[in-house]
Amino acid sequence: MIKHLFKLIWKRRKSNSLMMTEIFFSFLILFAVCSLGVYNFQNYMTPAGLETNNVWVAFINFNTANDTAKVQYKELVSQQLKQYPEVESFSYTSSNAPFTFSTMSNSVAYNKKKVSSDVITVEPDFPKAMSMTIAQGRWFTKADMAGNFVPVVITKHLAKDLFGTEDAVGKIFGDGEEAAKSKKMKVVGVVDYYKHKSDFQELDNSLFRPSEKWDDTMVLKVKPGSGAEVEAKIVRELARLGKDWTIEIQQMDGMKSNRNNLVLVPVIILLIICGFLVFNVALGMFGVLFQTINRRKQEIGVRRAMGATKGAILWHFIGETAVIATFGLILGLFFAVQFPLLNVFDIEASVYLIGMLLAVIFIYVLVGICAFYPSRQASVLQPAVVLHEE
Amino acid sequence: MIQLKNIEKVYRTATIETVALNKVNLDIEKGEFVSIMGPSGCGKSTLLNIIGLLDEPSKGQVEIDGKQTNGLSDAQLASFRNQTLGFIFQSFHLINDLPVLDNVELPLLYRNVSSAERRRLASEALEKVGLSNRMKHYPNQLSGGQKQRVAIARAIVGQPEIILADEPTGNLDSNMGNEIMDILLTLNQRDKATIVMVTHDENMAKRTHRLIRLFDGSQVS
Repeated sequence: MIKHLFKLIWKRRKSNSLMMTEIFFSFLILFAVCSLGVYNFQNYMTPAGLETNNVWVAFINFNTANDTAKVQYKELVSQQLKQYPEVESFSYTSSNAPFTFSTMSNSVAYNKKKVSSDVITVEPDFPKAMSMTIAQGRWFTKADMAGNFVPVVITKHLAKDLFGTEDAVGKIFGDGEEAAKSKKMKVVGVVDYYKHKSDFQELDNSLFRPSEKWDDTMVLKVKPGSGAEVEAKIVRELARLGKDWTIEIQQMDGMKSNRNNLVLVPVIILLIICGFLVFNVALGMFGVLFQTINRRKQEIGVRRAMGATKGAILWHFIGETAVIATFGLILGLFFAVQFPLLNVFDIEASVYLIGMLLAVIFIYVLVGICAFYPSRQASVLQPAVVLHEE
Repeated sequence: MIQLKNIEKVYRTATIETVALNKVNLDIEKGEFVSIMGPSGCGKSTLLNIIGLLDEPSKGQVEIDGKQTNGLSDAQLASFRNQTLGFIFQSFHLINDLPVLDNVELPLLYRNVSSAERRRLASEALEKVGLSNRMKHYPNQLSGGQKQRVAIARAIVGQPEIILADEPTGNLDSNMGNEIMDILLTLNQRDKATIVMVTHDENMAKRTHRLIRLFDGSQVS
């Protein structure tokens, strides 16, 4: 019967070409949306490696170009913060603190292998403030800074990129741009995850090195329930320490939500557009199927006379629609399969393959739903009546 | 073989009631070739549809091959049509998008028959009607007479005991009509098929074993 259906549709391919084209384009759009969805979902399901609950980010501007004064001011702020029982821990960081819109990257090199990585300068208390856990080795301490190498902690992703399967802890490597001039870095620890741009961020290369004197952004871990009052008090009291200082505190949860929205909003817009298109395609298919069945009433009568049950007629027309969908899908899959083959956007092949599978399932379900009612109408036609219709 | 008892068929709308068949009683023996004649609208096709289980009588009983058909389910009726009955229509009702061989195979699609077996049976049926050289042609490449021969091959491919022909020569000229009639007679004489044929043509009817005349839904002879 399947061969019979394929033969019929192949012979009627010209009259079914509109529906095949609709399915082809619907599949491509669904493939794009599903792949995007799978990509973001997989990233979302990866642990973040940090906690944003009760974490604040303080943006401090000391309004001075004098580095010595800046170091003193930073120490003053640190002393003041230690006095607040609500503040559990804090750390100065470079301006690319988690979920800020600032980025800082550099290339690093090991054994002639050069890779790019985000670089974040932090203090030893940074993992405590961000509730980060070390997977291998340890976080650097102040004592490490006196050594011959810059102590660094790197993400597992960077460790794999740079050292492959070798153990990363203890490895010494250089700056990719000026390997000969700058101080070499030594890996003291590895963290599994560090998603600092959004929940939907793909795991990438990050490197933590000791804070520099000009770092004036700060992450603070506060006790649960510390609200706006505590925030206002800290801002007010810190501002009193230096008359030209400007201080702004933001809650990291809110910052993360803003960054998540940057990913989610385009996806939602795409979903709405896709939904609208698919709805139109479904309506079109519905109409075409009704027309087709009206045109083929006598054929239905003949099939019934030859021994087809109502169910056989129902499945015949659903089957025909599925075959039309299959032709559209074969064409669509030909294009879709180029994405993993050509490694487009440098995304894992599995994302595209799952995207394809979901789009194919969606198309068949859509086709099944659209075909069911017209096919059911076909199955209840009275053979004695339709065989004598002009 | 076929027994109709007090068959009535009434078509009802909100305002009109039309009696298509009125207390028709009919006995057709196995191997008989019966023709049904009558003016247009007298109920010939309705009667054939009822015998062919394509329509239900409003009253009365239909018994085919000793089996009571009233109250059979859709699946049972479909199986009965598929196994026991073969249909030939005035306007052939071939599927234009399928080659001749596939058209002939159609009844076998609704049986548990392998693809190779379907091919074999369909080829044999086409040979019987003298069209084995047109298997790969499409219906629109054939003449009217050839199309009707394909329809006959389709009707006999499943080796049914009864063939129901609804004006099989109605769309053909007299030569082609006679050719078709010859084939039907051969099927009746050689294969012992029971044939019920609706016709307007007195000459064709004379060639059958028995003529049944209908008038205004009633059997008059």
